[in-house]
Amino acid sequence: MTDTMFGSENEQWVCPNDRQLMLRAKLHTGWSIHTFQSERQRKAQALEKRELDLIMSVIHRAEQLELIEQHRIGRLVERLDNMRSSAMGNGLSQCLLCGEVFGLLGSSSVLCLDCCMKVCTKCGIETTAGGQKRTQWLCKICSEQREVWKRSGAWFYKALPKHIRPIKDSILDNRKPVIERGEQLPVARSAPISYTWAQSRVYLSESDGSDAELSECSSDRKTFASETNQRRDSESSGGQVQTPQSSFTSPTRGNVHIESPSSLVSEQSSSSSFNPGLEDEVIDHSRTLLTPPALSRAGSLRSSSTSQKSEGPQADANRDEDDLDQAFGATALVASKKEEEPDVEGYDSDDSTTLGTLDFSLLYDQENNALHCTINKAKLPVPRYKKGLKPMDHNGLSDPYVKLHLLPGASKANKLRTKTLRNTLNPVWSETLTYYGITDEDMVRKTLRISVCDEDKFRHNEFIGETRIPLKKLKPNQTKNFSNCLEKQLPIDKTDDKSLEERGRIMISLKYSSQKSGLVVGIIRCAHLAAMDANGFSDPYVKTYLKPDENKKSKHKTAVKKKTLNPEFNEEFFYEIKYADLSKKTLEVTVWDYDIGKSNDFIGGVSLGINASGERLKHWFDCLKNKDKKIERWHTLTNELPGSGYND
Amino acid sequence: MELYGKMAATQDNKQKENSDQNFDYMFKLLIIGNSSVGKTSFLFRYADDTFTSAFVSTVGIDFKVKTVYKNDKRIKLQIWDTAGQERYRTITTAYYRGAMGFILMYDITNEESFAAVQDWATQIKTYSWDNAQVILAGNKCDMEEERIVSVDSGRLLAEQLGFEFFETSAKDNINVKQTFDRLVDIICDKMSDTLEADPAAAGGTPSARLTETPAPPQPSDCSC
Repeated sequence: MTDTMFGSENEQWVCPNDRQLMLRAKLHTGWSIHTFQSERQRKAQALEKRELDLIMSVIHRAEQLELIEQHRIGRLVERLDNMRSSAMGNGLSQCLLCGEVFGLLGSSSVLCLDCCMKVCTKCGIETTAGGQKRTQWLCKICSEQREVWKRSGAWFYKALPKHIRPIKDSILDNRKPVIERGEQLPVARSAPISYTWAQSRVYLSESDGSDAELSECSSDRKTFASETNQRRDSESSGGQVQTPQSSFTSPTRGNVHIESPSSLVSEQSSSSSFNPGLEDEVIDHSRTLLTPPALSRAGSLRSSSTSQKSEGPQADANRDEDDLDQAFGATALVASKKEEEPDVEGYDSDDSTTLGTLDFSLLYDQENNALHCTINKAKLPVPRYKKGLKPMDHNGLSDPYVKLHLLPGASKANKLRTKTLRNTLNPVWSETLTYYGITDEDMVRKTLRISVCDEDKFRHNEFIGETRIPLKKLKPNQTKNFSNCLEKQLPIDKTDDKSLEERGRIMISLKYSSQKSGLVVGIIRCAHLAAMDANGFSDPYVKTYLKPDENKKSKHKTAVKKKTLNPEFNEEFFYEIKYADLSKKTLEVTVWDYDIGKSNDFIGGVSLGINASGERLKHWFDCLKNKDKKIERWHTLTNELPGSGYND
Repeated sequence: MELYGKMAATQDNKQKENSDQNFDYMFKLLIIGNSSVGKTSFLFRYADDTFTSAFVSTVGIDFKVKTVYKNDKRIKLQIWDTAGQERYRTITTAYYRGAMGFILMYDITNEESFAAVQDWATQIKTYSWDNAQVILAGNKCDMEEERIVSVDSGRLLAEQLGFEFFETSAKDNINVKQTFDRLVDIICDKMSDTLEADPAAAGGTPSARLTETPAPPQPSDCSC
């Protein structure tokens, strides 16, 4: 449309007489045809060899410059990768680059605009965005990334150009075959090096080579040269006759010229000597060449029916070139793609700044092994629904609730949840959720994850934001208040989950009674068991063994507690055994879910004995050392079944 | 005689190229237009500050390298000179891709070269990147007595095509440096705008741009 207007406007500057003269010259009519042909032949014969040498010298000079440029870009990319690999922190509680810990005693942190990681003020660069007057921060890695894109020209080509990184033998080895290939075909040497951004460019460079070869051949054989010129004239003349009135004469002419060298090259490749069948081959090849433009034109018409026919090949060519360029860009970035994936995954700059805030407090009751989490209130953003999805909350409000998890570990086993507040963006829960059986070891290893979600009755509940607190930050028996910004959901480390899945906790008491000459095992209670039934609960009971046990006499079972994940058993079992033999024994405790009519489900288990480790070993030793003293401890249940079969 | 001069200039250029590796940006520019409008003389005036009245038609393609400074940044310009004759069109259009800026030149004493500007503009759209910048230059403005194309006509056409406009003279060194400086300026502005408009592109992976459909939303946790 615009081009047509420009075309019509352009006619003002052309007087009719000149236009008629130009048209007549293009059609090669009148007396000028012989003069034009003879002049052209004279130029072709006199300058072909010299022209070829000049063009080749320029291409060679461009190759050298391009090689220097590729090394320069390679050094830039190498430097950026070194910065990335030397980053030490996690970007959340530590500086992304130097690993310095944030907090009251640590340094203050700033958020990077690009990667949304936290860095200290020394490892960040303050920048003022053009549109906003607000000050923004970039970490040094992202700032260097922007510089690389500027200096390499990737900002223009939408991807990193081809580059050669320093001191890498594999790349140097890869370049040798290219050189060898170049020796065979000197003209084709420029293609692999000079034209790496787009495949269409490789095609054009092949045309260059064809033209050069054609010139060489024609300089040797004058008769063939004259035939070539005549054939070329007829082809170009035909092209012009077809569209004499078109305002896009140049692209049409260009297309014709691109085709003719290819057909002439096929002539040379088909046979080195001339034979009567040559014309037939030319005709067949020209038919093949004529098909792709028609297909491309039809394709463009199919994609956009409103565009004019004359714009067809241009629009289609541009679209194809863009796709090819992006594909080439993808190829160029394959090496660095893996490194960037963890940072870019789930990246959305809007979410990081508008996920809301959460006020809560944490208290670790060391004596009772309890972690009290008081969820006070939150300030949430207005939810933005995806396009195409019908909003369920028409008033733009949320139905928020809070979930707690202890990481690493099974999510369902240690999940706590507040009640849901309706139609509010500023919910006030004022609710305390308590984890029981939290040992000092847990306080060092565990991380509390607090998630804010939006409850929907008919669809999956929507995630709003989360925050994570390493429990080692808390001091025992001191309440600590938090007012944290909510963040994007981070992936859970799956490797930890696969090793040993946690299934809840159990409180066990041990006492060796000298009077009775035996071990008294007390099953007091369990906490946060995994749910094995469809109703979200279990019907747990506990079995204990004192291994090794040849006659299976040491089996004891508690009563079944219906529909609970936090049962209280308060039962004691007695094992008659000499004190000297006790150190060789192992106490196995397993928790099961009772099911009527089918086999019971295994929930979790724990072993105490010489071969145990951590808290369990300590509990066993304390029992042996302190006779006639009752010792209670919390233990973590895991999905590892200690020796027993699955069936009851 | 002139050939020896050209070869000497070429050797000097090679020495400069090899020693000059510490630059910040590399811009590739292209000069196009009808034959004999003064493209080669324009480039020689800018790169070497020389001028020759004798006309020697350019064979195919040629380029020169020049380093300029802008805001404490060293910018290396690779300036390609193309042959305006139609028989070299296949060779010259191959270099349109990769060119960040174009100087579209016509001769103010030659009506035909001005009439062909529209065709050259169409070639730029066909063979170059969408974000390439173009400046329209009316050369030989020192030949006022032979002028055929007026300043207003040139400026009006440039406005219609969306290009910047200069009237230049390679012979008298009028607006030669200004044309190149302006082209470098608008390319630098385009570079800054590109990174500010889409900063995620700098750090993002190209696979995100290859697929048309947006990534499916991540499934959130169920409460049940």
